[in-house]
Amino acid sequence: MRTPTFGAMAVVVALVTTACSSGAGSPSPTQAPVTPAPGQSADASAPPATISGDIKVIMEQVPDTDVVAAMLADFNKAYPDVKVTIDGMTYDQMRDRIVSSFLTPQPTYDMIIVDNPWMYDFASGGFLEPLDERIAATEGYAYDDYAAPLRDIATVDGKIYGVPFYNYGLGLIYRKDLYQAAGLLPPTALDDLVAVATKLNTGGRTGLAMQPQKGYKIFEEWGNYLFAAGGSIQDADNKVALDSPEARRALQTYIDLYKSVAPANSLNWAFDEALRAVGSDQAAQMISYNWMLPTLNKPGGPGGDLAGQFALAPVPGGKAILGAWYWSIPSNSTQKDAAWAFISWLTSKEQDTQRVIAGGAPVRESVMTDPNVWAKGFGQDYYETAAKILANSAPLADGPNAEESINVVGDALNAAVAGQLSVDEAIKQAATNMQAVLDGQ
Amino acid sequence: MRKIAALFVGAWVVVVAFPYLWVLAASFKTQKELIDPRSFLFVPTLDNWREVVASGIGDSVVSSVIVGVATVTISALVAVPGAYAIARWRAGGEVARFGILLSEVLPPAVLVVPLFLFALNLGLRDTLAAVIASHLTFVLPVMTWFMVGFFDGVPRELEEQALVDGHGRIGAFVKVVLPQVLPGIGAAVIFGFVLSWNDLFYALILAGGNERTLPVAIASYNTFRGVELGQMAVAILISVVPVLIASFVVQKRLIRGISRGGLKV
Amino acid sequence: MIGGRGDPTAGVPPPPSWSNRHPCHDHDPGHAPSGESRRRQPRGASVIRLVPRLGIRHVFLAPLLIVLGGIVAYPLLYSLWLSFTNFNIIKQDQTRLVGLDQYLGLAANETYVAGLVNTLVFVGLAVAIELVLGLALALALQRVLPGRGRNALRSFLLTPMFVTPIAVGLMFRFLLNQQLGLIPAILEPLGVRIDFFGTQLALFSIIAIDVWQWTPFMLLLLLAGLESLPPQPFEAAKVDGAGTWFTFRNVTLPLLRPVIAVAALIRGLDAFKVFEYVFAITRGGPGSATETLQYQVYRTGFSFFRLGEAAAMAFVLVVIVLLLIVPLYRRVGDR
Repeated sequence: MRTPTFGAMAVVVALVTTACSSGAGSPSPTQAPVTPAPGQSADASAPPATISGDIKVIMEQVPDTDVVAAMLADFNKAYPDVKVTIDGMTYDQMRDRIVSSFLTPQPTYDMIIVDNPWMYDFASGGFLEPLDERIAATEGYAYDDYAAPLRDIATVDGKIYGVPFYNYGLGLIYRKDLYQAAGLLPPTALDDLVAVATKLNTGGRTGLAMQPQKGYKIFEEWGNYLFAAGGSIQDADNKVALDSPEARRALQTYIDLYKSVAPANSLNWAFDEALRAVGSDQAAQMISYNWMLPTLNKPGGPGGDLAGQFALAPVPGGKAILGAWYWSIPSNSTQKDAAWAFISWLTSKEQDTQRVIAGGAPVRESVMTDPNVWAKGFGQDYYETAAKILANSAPLADGPNAEESINVVGDALNAAVAGQLSVDEAIKQAATNMQAVLDGQ
Repeated sequence: MRKIAALFVGAWVVVVAFPYLWVLAASFKTQKELIDPRSFLFVPTLDNWREVVASGIGDSVVSSVIVGVATVTISALVAVPGAYAIARWRAGGEVARFGILLSEVLPPAVLVVPLFLFALNLGLRDTLAAVIASHLTFVLPVMTWFMVGFFDGVPRELEEQALVDGHGRIGAFVKVVLPQVLPGIGAAVIFGFVLSWNDLFYALILAGGNERTLPVAIASYNTFRGVELGQMAVAILISVVPVLIASFVVQKRLIRGISRGGLKV
Repeated sequence: MIGGRGDPTAGVPPPPSWSNRHPCHDHDPGHAPSGESRRRQPRGASVIRLVPRLGIRHVFLAPLLIVLGGIVAYPLLYSLWLSFTNFNIIKQDQTRLVGLDQYLGLAANETYVAGLVNTLVFVGLAVAIELVLGLALALALQRVLPGRGRNALRSFLLTPMFVTPIAVGLMFRFLLNQQLGLIPAILEPLGVRIDFFGTQLALFSIIAIDVWQWTPFMLLLLLAGLESLPPQPFEAAKVDGAGTWFTFRNVTLPLLRPVIAVAALIRGLDAFKVFEYVFAITRGGPGSATETLQYQVYRTGFSFFRLGEAAAMAFVLVVIVLLLIVPLYRRVGDR
């Protein structure tokens, strides 16, 4: 146990007096709270009883957070001296607050969740604690259990800065009953998607609910089309590779589909509208987050009477856009050991299994292949498909200024669907602007 | 003419009422019914209300009230004498008047960045104090501006008489001028409170967590996992009903207050 | 004798009794009166000096100046300085002065220019519609439902401005949704299909939402204005047998002019801040149809962390607003 330094000491003394007495004697390196240097504590995997602290965790207000909050009691059985306070808030607010916590000498948060577009900037800015040694020192942690694309996002310049919390990889969510009635199979290529969506576009039901909202949303959806067309966003050297015939074909297909089989007047739709359209029998399918499947199939949920009729398949072409949340420790935290104690406990195979059974979106392969999870959770099909999606996926942007990179591409794409740019213009603009943002210009 | 007027007012009542009725209905609907726009008949459920009440929206109401009351109180204390000095004694001249107007127009985007950094450096981030300070940036100028108008509207003869009667300047101000503009101050206070009550921009950036205000709480139903329409509807109702009642109680005074000379540049 | 000491602005020294009774009010004999008070001689000065010397009026004004200086002027200057740097909150070590680069960059930034144009269109149209509707409503309200009923009606009609704008935005996002919204569901059987958030109409839909929320503000000010009008001109018009329209054009409107100017000014300045509807519904799309300056500043500064550039964007807006209000202020001020 490291002894906390000055400012934090007062807090710790005030709040966890018993914990302090148990940890006070341990000889370990002390660290100034502002220095972003990696603090390697030799006893990161020390027995629970010796770890103590008071950590404040920032999380988004979503069901996944509720699942974690419900597990706190169990955590305190294992680590009675670590007090965890969860601060839940909206997405936009969370980002601003995380950044401001980075900049203060006495940080607000000891443990944060990091959205994948932020990872590079936060890590390369020195705001996050490298976790390699802590992971290595934690017995039975099995970091390789996470699919490679998930691990890649968390790895910046060869170091690991986060462990996956939950995923938002994309998949095709479709109506089983409609597919069966029409004798269809989930599409495996872009042309199949067009054929299937066109066939299902009958009567009062559209063939495919889309999410062409400007910015993040459209890119998140279209990226799957791009992969299906054989294109890529960045090449092996991280240079933008969007200016390609494949990208043009993908965008043309996207626009054609929007015009022919998507709900009318849905140019501002995000995934929420798409979910509602599919849930209310107004659209046959959508490309959306894989965990929307259990949400739709839940009785009394947005699927209504259709609950149970929905199924998940990998996106056409097989390679999906991947998003994910990660657990990270700010480098200015004075409670790193306690934070890691919570992270490593929560994301251990055993507890992650409990989290997923309780409804959390899965990230560990071993959890997704666990028959116990299938039985108590949402069934074998869902978890096996989710594992497949995660294994073959890539994020929207890799490198500096990812958030903005994603947005400039999404702006150009949306302008093309809106008819303000031609396909060619939009692709060129997207590629040029994204490269400029990546270059930090 | 009367008929046309009635028809027009009636039509506008429908326009205003329509979204409210929808929100009211939505607050009692299940997720499934919320998706179907034609679900006019449904068995009301209290689930949304239960969830929202359990989510601690009461704390947000308290935060919003604290911020609103503190903002208008500070504003009134500062603006009343300031506005009087500007109106009656020409303190600062035209520059002062224009400066007040100018600070009213500053887009929050100009101020939010430095305010954010100051709050950060002063350790005021995540406190209601930071939100109150930010709300002062737009409430104080508006209230001052209104009050300059009110004081302009008070006949000078009243004060002269008070001075002749042996009151001092402060005496004349407190005993004679203030009572004249009290309804106006009331109007300005209510207006300032509403501005503070509605703000999302500053509150979102400067405070959150346990200190979040109602608009932030309402915005939080718009999540990465979808918009919780039913619960958001409840939160909207919770935020509107108090101001609706307040508006009913005070609107006459509000109108009268503003009409007493608050409408000058 | 304190009152007359060295004060050329007071034509007649105040009565000794006055100054003797309140010596504490005149405690800064060393200050010369400002030129301002010399020029602007208040009407009553010949009898009693209404404008005091520096002391008390500055005591009255000081808190206001201090607070505004601290929370407005200082941040404003800081922001101005930031706009000449490339300040990025997560790359602070790379901060350097870039002069006018960011301002020049904005001129070449198509999205920004589109946002500028949209914002101006938004403000112009929204304020004009709200003004006309608000005036019509105020006049109509005078003619219907006397007494308590009118009070209730009035307070109900004022309520939309009390709803937090983000909630209004989210409400209308779903109300106007083609598949899921109630309004299209009602319009469709009537054969009306409107793409509310398509390229052509999105900005106007946002304007309509603003009209729903802020016409009440115009209504409030105009009702107050109507109430403050003197009754004599109207009585005279009635005696002369003037018609309703004639009275409105030649009596009501001219008398109401200052109120209209003020209402339009306040609302216009506020409308420049449009953010929530865009944030909740379109995120600036489709294409750049609903890009507005405030939303862009938010995105640049807080999503992309480039606070320096965001400050530059905001300052361009300040300059534009200034260019618009200075002449207006002059004109209204002259009346």
